[in-house]
Amino acid sequence: MPIETSKHTMKIIKYIIPFLIITIVTLSCGDDICILETESFMSLEINVTDTTLVDKKYLENLSIYSPEWSDSIHYSEEGSSSIIDFQLSPHNSNTTIVITSDSSDLKDTVQFYHQNELFFLSPECGFILNYKIDSFSVTNNLIDSIYLKTDKITNYVNGLFEIYIL
Amino acid sequence: MDFLKYIYCSLIVFLFTILFSYGQDEEMYAPVKEKVPLELKGLKFGLNVGRFSDYLFKPERVSYETSFDFNLNHKYFGVFEAGYSEIELKKDNYHYLSDGYFLKLGMDYNMLKKYPSDFLGIGIRFGWADFNQSASNIIIDANHWSAYTTSINPESLNTYWLEASFGIKGEIFKNVYFGWSALLKIRVAGGKNLNVQPYDIPGYGNSTKGINLGANYYIYYQIPFNRK
Repeated sequence: MPIETSKHTMKIIKYIIPFLIITIVTLSCGDDICILETESFMSLEINVTDTTLVDKKYLENLSIYSPEWSDSIHYSEEGSSSIIDFQLSPHNSNTTIVITSDSSDLKDTVQFYHQNELFFLSPECGFILNYKIDSFSVTNNLIDSIYLKTDKITNYVNGLFEIYIL
Repeated sequence: MDFLKYIYCSLIVFLFTILFSYGQDEEMYAPVKEKVPLELKGLKFGLNVGRFSDYLFKPERVSYETSFDFNLNHKYFGVFEAGYSEIELKKDNYHYLSDGYFLKLGMDYNMLKKYPSDFLGIGIRFGWADFNQSASNIIIDANHWSAYTTSINPESLNTYWLEASFGIKGEIFKNVYFGWSALLKIRVAGGKNLNVQPYDIPGYGNSTKGINLGANYYIYYQIPFNRK
């Protein structure tokens, strides 16, 4: 190889080494731990203005459950700021939630009809389910009105359902 | 917003190319005195050795990539690249499989004038990938509900993209070249699935991004052909 070309080749290789090092360092920065949020929640915001129920601490004694569950979610343990969260059914396209409180004999039932969307989040976390609420129905034993504020539920954005008990 | 991202990335590549060009020795750029008609001056066969780093850094992927370039007067190069990629992610909560191939067709432009057997320049490619994916034993835990188990039947997907490159190739031994290139890939169509976004698109990379950056490390053998 002529000397001039050899020098030139060295010059080119000079540019290869730093590029190679940068790539190796970049590639080796990953890990195998899931650090992303993987659960999708529906939030119920329960607004109680009935003075009798307020006095009886209706919200503080409130619980929600599904007939398919073996336990309940209690506002006193998992709720705050009038909001209680739960997950929609991953098995079906409808979810039934019963709203009850030790402060009243009356119960209300909310039925959500939804689409379940399987989503590959990352190699570390695997698959998750996102949801879209299509419609809902509710009994009016205590509930006066309800509003669906956020119908798309993802691992980053909770669905939001406002319930008014007047 | 995506459109702005495309413009932004194109500008970065353009500026990078210009800056790098000015950073080189002036002697490397002799003015072109006459127009030479296009003529096949050589044929290189290359193997992307960068893909072997997957064994260390991405063990879930096995992939190969080869390249053919047709030297037209040391200035323009017709390029054909082809590759195969296979991915298996076996975790406690899912088992994902994907395999497919890709083809790329394009041109390189050599900015070197004084050392025409080497290469420092830019290129453009059009890429196409055809691949399959499936998943089984997907387990999703959902607090009060019992664990949900499902699977995804095998599905076939295509993706098309445009690729801009900047790189160098140097002759390290007679007829043997080594080189790298930095790549900017812009997805044109395909590779998106509403339910399950592919983990990786062969030749393109991360399927969740409309723009991907990448790098190639090639070893080439130049078939001694029409070489003075």
